Amino acid sequence: MEDPVRASLDHCVKCTICETACPVAQVTPLFPGPKYEGPQAERFRQPGASADHSVDYCSGCGICSQVCPHGVKIAEINSRARAAYKAEVGAPLRDRVLARPGVTGPMGSPVAPVVNRVMANGPARWVLERAVGLHHSAPVPPYAPRSFQRWARSHRRGAGVHPDGRSVVYFHGCSTNWFEPDLGRMVVAVLERNGVQVRVPDQGCCGLPLQSNGLFEPARRTLRHLAHDLAAGGGDEPVVASSSSCGLMLKREGREILGLADEDLRAMGERTYDICEFLLDLHDQGALDTDFRRLPLRVLYHAPCQQRGHAMGTPALDLLRLVPGMEVVESAGGCCGIAGTYGLKKEKYGIAMAVGEPLFEQVRTGNPDVVACDGETCRWQITAASDHSSVHPVALLFWAYGLEL
Amino acid sequence: MQTIETEVLVIGGGATGVGVARDAALRGFATVLVERKDLAEGTTGRYHGLLHSGGRYAVKDPQAARECAAENGVLRRIAADCIEDTGGLFVTTPWDDVEFGDRFLAGCAATGVGVEEIEVGAALVREPALNPDIRRAFLVADASMDAWKLAWACARSAVEHGARVLTYHRVTEVLRNGDAVAGVVTVDVRTGVTLTVRAQVTVNATGAWAGQLAALAGCRPVDVVPGKGIMIAMNHRIVNTVLNRCTMPSDGDIIVPIRTVSVVGTTDSPVTDPDQLEVTQAEVDHMLDEGEKLVPGFRKARALRVWAGARPLFGAKEPGDEKTRDITRAHTLLDHRQRDGLDGFVTITGGKATTFRLMAEETMDLVARMASPGTDRPCRTATLPLPDSEPGAYYAVGSRLAQRERHLLDDQLVCECELVSRRDLTEALDRRPTANIDDIRRALRLGMGPCQGGFCTYRATGILHHQERLDQATANRALLDFLQERWKGLAPILYGDQLRQARLDDWLYQGLLDVEHLPAAAGAP
Amino acid sequence: MSDDGEIVVVGAGMAGLVAALRLAEAGRRARILAKGFGATHLSGATIDVLGYTPAPVMSPAGALPAFVAEHPDHPYARVGAGVVEEAVGWLKGHLTDPRYVGDLGRNFLLPTAAGVCKPAAVAPQTMAAGDLRGGGPYAIVGLPGLKDFYPSLVAGNLALATTPAGTAVGARAVEVDLSPGGRVDAGPLGYARRFEDPRFRADFAAALQGRLAADEVLGVPAVLGLAGAEQAWEELEARVERPIFEIPTLPPSVPGLRMFTVLMAAARRAGARVVIGAEVVGVETDGYRVRGVWSGTANGRRFYPTAALVLATGGWAAGGLVMDSHRVVREPVLGLPVTGADDGAARFLPGYLDHHPLATAGIAVDRWLRPVDARGAVLYDNVRVAGATLAGAEPWKEKSGDGISVATGYHAAMSVLTEEG
Repeated sequence: MEDPVRASLDHCVKCTICETACPVAQVTPLFPGPKYEGPQAERFRQPGASADHSVDYCSGCGICSQVCPHGVKIAEINSRARAAYKAEVGAPLRDRVLARPGVTGPMGSPVAPVVNRVMANGPARWVLERAVGLHHSAPVPPYAPRSFQRWARSHRRGAGVHPDGRSVVYFHGCSTNWFEPDLGRMVVAVLERNGVQVRVPDQGCCGLPLQSNGLFEPARRTLRHLAHDLAAGGGDEPVVASSSSCGLMLKREGREILGLADEDLRAMGERTYDICEFLLDLHDQGALDTDFRRLPLRVLYHAPCQQRGHAMGTPALDLLRLVPGMEVVESAGGCCGIAGTYGLKKEKYGIAMAVGEPLFEQVRTGNPDVVACDGETCRWQITAASDHSSVHPVALLFWAYGLEL
Repeated sequence: MQTIETEVLVIGGGATGVGVARDAALRGFATVLVERKDLAEGTTGRYHGLLHSGGRYAVKDPQAARECAAENGVLRRIAADCIEDTGGLFVTTPWDDVEFGDRFLAGCAATGVGVEEIEVGAALVREPALNPDIRRAFLVADASMDAWKLAWACARSAVEHGARVLTYHRVTEVLRNGDAVAGVVTVDVRTGVTLTVRAQVTVNATGAWAGQLAALAGCRPVDVVPGKGIMIAMNHRIVNTVLNRCTMPSDGDIIVPIRTVSVVGTTDSPVTDPDQLEVTQAEVDHMLDEGEKLVPGFRKARALRVWAGARPLFGAKEPGDEKTRDITRAHTLLDHRQRDGLDGFVTITGGKATTFRLMAEETMDLVARMASPGTDRPCRTATLPLPDSEPGAYYAVGSRLAQRERHLLDDQLVCECELVSRRDLTEALDRRPTANIDDIRRALRLGMGPCQGGFCTYRATGILHHQERLDQATANRALLDFLQERWKGLAPILYGDQLRQARLDDWLYQGLLDVEHLPAAAGAP
Repeated sequence: MSDDGEIVVVGAGMAGLVAALRLAEAGRRARILAKGFGATHLSGATIDVLGYTPAPVMSPAGALPAFVAEHPDHPYARVGAGVVEEAVGWLKGHLTDPRYVGDLGRNFLLPTAAGVCKPAAVAPQTMAAGDLRGGGPYAIVGLPGLKDFYPSLVAGNLALATTPAGTAVGARAVEVDLSPGGRVDAGPLGYARRFEDPRFRADFAAALQGRLAADEVLGVPAVLGLAGAEQAWEELEARVERPIFEIPTLPPSVPGLRMFTVLMAAARRAGARVVIGAEVVGVETDGYRVRGVWSGTANGRRFYPTAALVLATGGWAAGGLVMDSHRVVREPVLGLPVTGADDGAARFLPGYLDHHPLATAGIAVDRWLRPVDARGAVLYDNVRVAGATLAGAEPWKEKSGDGISVATGYHAAMSVLTEEG
C-alpha cells in the first residue's frame, strides 16, 4: 500500500494557507516555505534519493499541517525529506549530541556545577560555537543537581491518594528529569491533590530531538524503548505527559513521522494525555479540586506549536481561568522560534529569534507577571529573549492550590 | 507568394516526422519540415510515455516486439536525457491467467526481449503500492520517455544540420507535376501567410492524418484508421516502475511513471476523425477500475488530467469493421510510385513512439534511393546522440528540484507545481516568441501540475504580455484560451481532489480576477 | 434550545467566523472546530454582495428583491434581503483595521489584478479610491519581487474600460524597483511585512517622486502591511499626495488575512474557543437533534457536547462538499443530502466559463437555515448551515461570495439565538 503521508500530497490545491502560517518562511528566503517543501517538492522525490537541501531549514513546528484545510501532512512530508537529506549528507556531531538528551543528561547531571559554569561562561560559549556550531547566545538551561527520577524513586504517595483510586503513569521527559525536576514534583503534587496515584517508571527519551534532526533510525529505537519503559508494570492506566512536544511524539509523531506501526505503541499513544488535557477532563467529570486560593497574577498564556498539534484546544487556558484573581490573556499565536533544538544552532539562531520576535514583543509590551507555556524549550527561549519569567501552567495551579515543594 | 526549394520535404512534426527530418539532414539532404500545429502536438505528445522493452508485444506481435527491443537499446544510447530508466514489471494479477507468464517468457526469449522472473515479494518491496495479491512478476527494460523533449531534440539536431522546421504551417495543397508530387503549399495559421515548398521527395509523416494527406495528394486511399486511446495522468508518482498486466494487450493494462505523474492507459477504439477525440465517462471509469487492479486504492488517488491520442493504425478496412487492437503495431512504409504510380511521394505510418527512429531510417533509406540514386548516404541516427544526451546519463525525476534549489535566491517560481522559473519562461520566449501559453506548456510543462494552471496562467499571461509586448486583446485571449485548454482535460475527471482544485481555480479566475468580464471575453468559446 | 450549552461552529472561514463572533458577542459559549483555516486567506476581502445577475448590478439593495424572487432557492432568498443588509452593516462595524466603506445602495467597481472592474458593495477603505466611477487616470505600480501582480496587464485592461458615465479611462503601469532585502520571490506576505516599516514606505514614496502626473490615482498591489494597514495607507497617501488604492493579488491575500485576523481576535475576545487542526469526524444525534460532535485529535478523537451546530465547512473548493471517483456526492460532517448534483444530467459543460450544473449544488435549507430533505422536511432542528455549503448560488459568477457567507453566518447565529427550533 502507498504510504499515507506521501499520498496526502494529492490533497494540496496550492491555496497558500500553509504559507501564511509558516513562521520560518516569513523571516528567511533560505526556506521557500511549506507548500514548496511539502506537497510540491515531494512529487520530485524518489525513495533513496535526496535532491533538495532547503528542507533542512524547516523547524518542524508543524503549524503547516495544523492549518491546512485539506489534510495534507505537510510537516510530516518535510520531516521525512529532511531525514533523507541527512541520511545523504550526514548529520554533524552537534546535531547528534543535541539529539540525545537521554545520553547527555546522565553525563551532565552528576557534574552539573562544572557544566553549568561552562555554559554560563561567555568565552567558553564562543569556543563551543566555533567548535560545534552551538550558538553562543542560545538558551541552554543549567543542569539540576538532582534528577527528577532520583526524587521520584524516594517519593512516598501523598496524603489523600487511595491505592485503589484513579492512577496514571507520568511521562516526565528529559527536560523535567535533568533540568526542571521541580516541575515534575509539582505535576505529581497536583495530581495527588486530586486523588490521582502517580507512577513514575524509570524512563528515557522519546526520540523527538533525534527525529527533528533527521536521525530516524535511532529515533525509532529510542521511542520504542520509551514505550517499553512506560509499559513496565503492565497496567493500562493513562500516560500523562507534562511536555507537550514529547507527549505528541507518543500520541502521533512516532506513527506519522517515523512510520512506526507497532500495535503497543499505538495503544499507548491512545491512552496518552497532556497534563492539562487530563486535568480538564477531570474537571469536566466534576473530579477536579477547584478549591484554588486567590492568585492575583497577570498571565500571558502561550500555546506552543506542538501543543496546538494535539488538536485538543487549550485546556491550560481553561484551567487557569478557574483560578480566582488570575488574569489570563492568550498570546496572539505565533511561534517562539526555538522548535526544540533548531534555534540552538549557529546557522539558525538568528532565524529562530526573528521568528519569535512578534511573540517576544507581545510579552514585552503586555508585561505580564509571568508567561505560562506548556513547552520547555519554548519557555527557555521566551525567557531568554523577553527577560520575563515563564512557567508551565501546572506550576500556577500548584501555587493556586497553596502547595509547597 | 514565397517559395522555397528543398530536396526532402517532411510533412508532420510528430516523432516520426522529426525523426525523418533529422535522419535526412544527417545524411546531408536539404530538408524542410512543415507541421500544422506545434511539434509533438498530435499523437506523439498524447501517448503514455512508455519506452517499450518489447514485452508488451512478445506474445501477440513478435515483429513489433523485436523492433521495440532493438530500438529500446538504441534510444537509451542516443536519447538518454529523454529517458528515465524506471524499469518495468509485468505482473499477474488475480484477474490474469497465471499460465500466460510462461507464454510471455517464451515470447520474450523468441524476440530478444530481456526478461527476468522475480519473486513476488521482491516486486512488492520495489513497488509497495502494487497489488499484494499478484502471483507472478517479471522484470523488463521498460522505461519512460519524454516525447516532447525527444521531438524537440530531434528537431534541434535536424536544424543544426541545416534543416528548416516550420511549425504552424498547415498544408493546403499538394503540388503535382504530372505523375509526381512536387511539394506543397502551406499557410502559416498564425499570420495567414502562404508559403510554397518545392521538393524532390515529399514524405507524408502525418501518422493518423496520413489518409487525409494522401487524399490531398490525389492518390489511392491510404487506409489509416485513427485508434483512439485515452490516458489519465494521476497527480504523483504512485509507482516508480512501469507496471504492465501480464496478459494479452488490453485496455488499462499499464501504468507509466513519467516525470512527476503516473499515467494509466489506455483504450483503443476506432474513430473517423483524429481531431475529434471525445473522452467519455465510461472510458474514464474503465481506466480507474483497471488501475485499481494493479494498484489498490487507485480510485482514491488524485486524477490530474485526461486526454486522448489517435494511433495511426494501418490496414483496417473501415472504422467499426474490426477491433483496432488486433491490427499490427508494426509500421508501414508506402512508396507511392509502386503503389499508385505517383513519383516523389512516400508515406510512413503505423508504428509507435519507441520505433520512431527505425521508421525514419527505413523511410530515408527509400527516400535516399529516390533522391540521389547510386550514392551511399548511410543512416547515422542509431549512433549519434541527440543534443544534450550522453549515453547512460538518464533523466532523473529529481533533477528539476535540484536545479530549483540552486536558484532559490535569484529566480522566481512561476509554475510552482512543475517548478518552472521566471528565467525558464523568459528564456523560452527568447528562443521562440509566442503569444500562446500552450506552446510554453509543451516547452516547459508550465501548467501541467496539480493546479492545472490555477496560479501560473495569470503569471504567464502577465509575463508574456510584458515581454512580448502583446496587445491587450491578444494577452486576454492567451489567458482565456489556456484556461479553456486546461478545462478540456479536467472536466471528464472532476471528482475528489481535482474537483476541489477546479472550484478553487474558479474562485481565483472568476471570483477574484473576474476574467469573464475581460475585454476579450465576449464571444469566448 | 437550552441557553447555556456550548455551540459548536464547524469551519473557520468567513461564515464560521461571523457565526461564532455573533454568538459569542451575544453571550453564548461558542467553539470553532476547524480542519484548517478557511477561504478568508484567499479572498480579495471586498464584501461582494451581488455584482451580476448576470446583468451588471449597480445597486445590490435595489436588485436583491427581484433577484430573490427569480432565484427562490438562492441563500439570499432564504435569509431575505433585509438580513443581508443588516449582516453586512454589522460586519462593517467589526472590521477596524482597515475600516470598511460602502453599503448595499451602490456597488463600487474595483480593479482586479487582471484589470477588470469588479462590483463590490463594501470594501476596505484602502481599496475604495480604485472605483471606476472616479475614472482615473490610473498609475498602477508593479514590484519586482511580486509574481502575483502584473501592472501592465492591469493598466492595459483598465485603459479599455469606460466609466458607467461612458467616459474613457486612462491607465499606465509604473515599475518601482524595490524589494524586501532584495528577495526576488518575496510574495505578498514578504512585501506586507516590509510595508509595516515606515522607512520602507518612505523609500517607496521616494521611488515614485516625479514619476506621476498630477491627476493620477495610484493603484498598488494589496500588500500595504498586515497589521496597521490603515495607518500605512494613510501615511502613504500623504507622502505621494494623491489617492492610493490597493488591488488584491493572487493568494495569499494580505487583505484577506487582515480580515481574518480582526474577526478571529474579536471572536476570541468575545470568549469564543477556537481549535484549528480539529476535523470533525463524527456526530452524535438524538432524533432530530445533534447532541455533540467528535473531532479528530493527535491520538484519536474528542467529544464536544453541543446545544446547536453551525455547519460552515465551505463548498466543493473547501471540502464541505465532496465527490468520490464514482461521482457519489456527500456532505462529510452530517451526511446531509446534497441537492443539485444529480447523476443523470451532465455536471459540467464544455466551455470553461459556462454555467456548470454542479456549481449550484449544495445543502438545501429552510428559512432558519436548518437543513431540509427533498420534500422540505427539516432534518435536524438544532443545525444551521451557512456559507458556501448552501445550495442555489454560483457565487464566483454572481460576485456574491462574501455576501452569502456574511449574511448566512449572521443569520445562522441569529436563528440559534432567537428561534427555538
